[in-house]
Amino acid sequence: MAPTDTLVTQSTAPTRTSAASTIDASKVYGSDDSEVTAVDHVTVAFETGRFSAIMGPSGSGKSTLMHCMAGLDPLTSGQAFIGDVDLTTLHDKQLTKLRRDKVGFVFQSYNLVPSLSALENITLPDLLAGRKPDQAWLDRVVQTVGLADRLTHRPSELSGGQQQRVAVARALVARPEIIFADEPTGNLDSHASTEILEFMRRAVIDLGQTIVMVTHDPVAASFSDHIVFLADGRVVDEMDQPTAERVLDRMRQFGS
Amino acid sequence: MLRIALKSALFNKRRLVGTGLSIVIGIAFLAGTLVFTDTIGRTFDTLFADVYKTTDTYVRSSSEIDVGFGQKLYDRLPESILAEIKAVDGVDDAVANVGGFARVIGKDGKPIGVDNGSPNFGMSITDNPLEAWQKVGDSVYPRGGEQMMMDAGTAKKGKFTLGDKVNVISQGGNRVFTLVGTVRFGNADSPGGSTFALFDVPTAQSFVGKTGEIDAVQVAAEPGVTERTLADRVQKALGPDTTVLTGAEITKESQNAVGDALSFINILLLVFAAVALFVGSFIIYNTFSIIVAQKQRENALLRAVGASRGQIISSILVESVIVGLIASAVGFVAGIGMSTVLKNLMATFGIDIPAGGVVLLPRTAIVSFAVGVVMTVFAAVSPSVRASRVAPVAAMRDVALDKSATSRGRLIAGLLVSFVGALLVVVGLTGNVRQLGLGVPLLFMGIFVLGPLIARPVAGFIGAPLPRVVGMTGTLARQNSMRNPKRTARTAAALMVGVSLVTGISVLAASVTSSVRSIIGDQFVGDFVVNTRTQGFGGLPPELTQKLNALPEVGSASSLQLGYGNVEDRTKASALSVVDPKTIGDAFDMKFISGKASDLTATGILVSEKRAKKDGLTVGATVNLRLLDGVKRPLRVQGVYQKDELAGPYTISEELFRSSGADLFSFAVFGTKAPGISEAKAMSAVESVTRDYPTGKLLSRSSYIDEQSKQINQFVNLIYGLLALAVIIAIFGITNTLSLSVYERTRELGLLRAVGAFRSQVRSSVRWESVITALLGTAQGIVIGILLGYAVIISLRDEGLRSFTIPVTTLIVVVVLAVIAGIVAAIRPAGRAAKLNILEALARH
Repeated sequence: MAPTDTLVTQSTAPTRTSAASTIDASKVYGSDDSEVTAVDHVTVAFETGRFSAIMGPSGSGKSTLMHCMAGLDPLTSGQAFIGDVDLTTLHDKQLTKLRRDKVGFVFQSYNLVPSLSALENITLPDLLAGRKPDQAWLDRVVQTVGLADRLTHRPSELSGGQQQRVAVARALVARPEIIFADEPTGNLDSHASTEILEFMRRAVIDLGQTIVMVTHDPVAASFSDHIVFLADGRVVDEMDQPTAERVLDRMRQFGS
Repeated sequence: MLRIALKSALFNKRRLVGTGLSIVIGIAFLAGTLVFTDTIGRTFDTLFADVYKTTDTYVRSSSEIDVGFGQKLYDRLPESILAEIKAVDGVDDAVANVGGFARVIGKDGKPIGVDNGSPNFGMSITDNPLEAWQKVGDSVYPRGGEQMMMDAGTAKKGKFTLGDKVNVISQGGNRVFTLVGTVRFGNADSPGGSTFALFDVPTAQSFVGKTGEIDAVQVAAEPGVTERTLADRVQKALGPDTTVLTGAEITKESQNAVGDALSFINILLLVFAAVALFVGSFIIYNTFSIIVAQKQRENALLRAVGASRGQIISSILVESVIVGLIASAVGFVAGIGMSTVLKNLMATFGIDIPAGGVVLLPRTAIVSFAVGVVMTVFAAVSPSVRASRVAPVAAMRDVALDKSATSRGRLIAGLLVSFVGALLVVVGLTGNVRQLGLGVPLLFMGIFVLGPLIARPVAGFIGAPLPRVVGMTGTLARQNSMRNPKRTARTAAALMVGVSLVTGISVLAASVTSSVRSIIGDQFVGDFVVNTRTQGFGGLPPELTQKLNALPEVGSASSLQLGYGNVEDRTKASALSVVDPKTIGDAFDMKFISGKASDLTATGILVSEKRAKKDGLTVGATVNLRLLDGVKRPLRVQGVYQKDELAGPYTISEELFRSSGADLFSFAVFGTKAPGISEAKAMSAVESVTRDYPTGKLLSRSSYIDEQSKQINQFVNLIYGLLALAVIIAIFGITNTLSLSVYERTRELGLLRAVGAFRSQVRSSVRWESVITALLGTAQGIVIGILLGYAVIISLRDEGLRSFTIPVTTLIVVVVLAVIAGIVAAIRPAGRAAKLNILEALARH
């Protein structure tokens, strides 16, 4: 449950140290003649305490894979796990509880509830669960994110970068087993992007958080420890300790 | 542009339904009212056309008193006039009518028919073909003082068969007759919902009328003699003491009289239709405002690609015309059903009016469509103009939050309109109904303008306990209700109108109740009352009072009758209290300033202090009074009393009233027990007499006070019933706003679900937002309602309304109902919010 600082040897098969994993997972949209296979028999695992990225060109199924792994979308076949909990066995209420207690989210945009203050947004999962946030932890997260003087502001009074920092802080405060970030820098300029990515890295290193980020941006992906490449719904490659150049090279091989 | 508007309207059907529904209900009520009153009108028109079908000339006394509401009282004629008429050249046949009040008592001992709806008649019947009745089956016409007929409807209700003994109560007392026949009227069992006890002419005269006198004569002309010619000849032969009408004239006159009496109901219902439509227009305005805000980018884009401001305006107005047309059409059709609902509603509250087949006039359709479309378009004008003001560059920007709720201009405009409205209300309450009718809506509009200014703080205040009670969903609900104060205020305003009217009425009712209680408690000093609910026509026979006075257990019994007369040639008849001077003082303390009740003789009159001051009257002065017989009597003022809430301005003696030829009925008999007799013993002795007069209800002093003070409740409940419509429309308004808000917040709801909000939590946040909105409207409504009620009471101070009571229990019920209304209004939008697919919601732009 508690994030660990230890780096564990990676493996593509699900192990007890995987924060999230799938076995032979498929997601098919539509029916009969208009079937689209978004995720095609994917078996993948993301290690605890690491910053992982899912990369691929648009239409590769990376977002769908993330949605299914995060319990936002049911699989058509196969299994998805958060820790050792099989998501396919859970009904809606259990899934909601799991998302609330074990999963954090950062979306590309519209991460915040406009009528709530930054602080209320950060503590939203705790508030929804009706429990008090851990004040020391909250202070530390807020300190790390650098939002201490912005807590009473409404989202509309924050810049895009600040809004995403609030979103990341929200994901961190609940101390989830894993954070899924879906193109978290997609709407930001390069300065704000770097800030957020640095911050996410620090969260993994300093706070021991596990993060899985979906992105199509090689620069963003280069901030991660480990990349899983997706094309046409299948895992086509993996890369450790990436740099922007290596990622870009690898991506060029996919494209025509 | 027209195509864009049409597409926009038809594309968003749910929005169309939401907007249209508020109009549908209002128009349904309007159309229903028109259909209902047209149907009643036609029923009576047909009835009277049938009654006088064979009548060419109608003769009655020219001495009459107009008591208002389309009702006139006529003096009787000597029966010898029948022979005079028959002797006129051109008269083929003539028949005398004798009529009055009579009530058939059912086998269960309870009177048949209603107390204050269609009247209960006793009449003469003969085998003359001029009579409008048709005999049923083996019936024979009654002969002698022991036989009667009745209308088939009454016989059916009382389960009477020929040969049954039937008790009938009239001026002549309680008598038993043998039923020898039933009659029908065309194909109606019971014309106009009235009950009819029918006797031969001498019996009718002695029992319900006056011996030797008749009420009217129906005359048939010989072939070749026109109605007009015959009427003129009869008039000439009889002289100025009679009014002679042609068959067409008496038909028209009777129809108009009913029309006048029913116009009260018509106006009452139309007022509530107007309230419903007024509330509906708030909702249309609100809906179009929200739609315009949501379509800001779309409209900016249209502007950017070259649409003119006029085109933006007309695109929205065209949508409003479509909504108006469809809603009016649906409302019109629903109105036909609504007319039946109205009829039943009125019947539930004691106003039972017979109605035949549904009458649908072209006017009803025209009015429904005109009102529906004009109102919808009118409510859409201001939002459409606002939409056209959007800068084309807004297409490129995110939609900014609407923060214009708290401008200084709004404050000034709102205060100004409210002030003018309040001023008109105050002026209107002094008797000018038109100003009142203008002032109240203006006041509401002023509050409507001011609403957004107070919506944020008040909604915040109302929602303040929610975070603690229901947690995070409460916080969300509270914040959401505060985030768009204009929207929340407008939504709440629709409910405010209904609630303020309910509150105002309940304040008024509570005040009247406590006022009546104190007035009667103060002035009625007797021990028991035999009470009726008849208002003006009929009541208890004089013999009841005599029998009660003969009881040793009774100190005295005094009857009270309501009479009418013209004072000093005023055209408007005055109400007169008709009393027995010897006994009235035992039961009532009218606080005489000069003279006393027992001073009153057959040549005198008692006047109230207020009246005396106004007309400069003192004891010994002369008041000229013309009663039913047309004789102008100079009466000596024999006393002046202070308390006029019960007795009214004038009080005369029974003896005087009887001498005018008027029928004698008491609407109540007030009595005291004999000294030294226990209340229980006195009551049981009185009961042994009143048992035979079931048209009256025996009450102790305290239960009489209770009953009288609650008399207004029935009317108030009817008004609540009618106002319920405005409240229902307002609830639809809340649903509509919430639906649009939920649609607008799709992404944030998706986000909430993604980060772990249960469906039930999403549902709960929408529900509580709805409750806050409902309570906001209710709070405003209660405040305004209390103020309105207070204003009305102040203006009625001179009419004897001296207490101001806030009905706390009723208001608590209103608040609880508002919470329930909020929960009900949220069912659909909250359900929709909870059902959202998270990924689709997050992907929405």
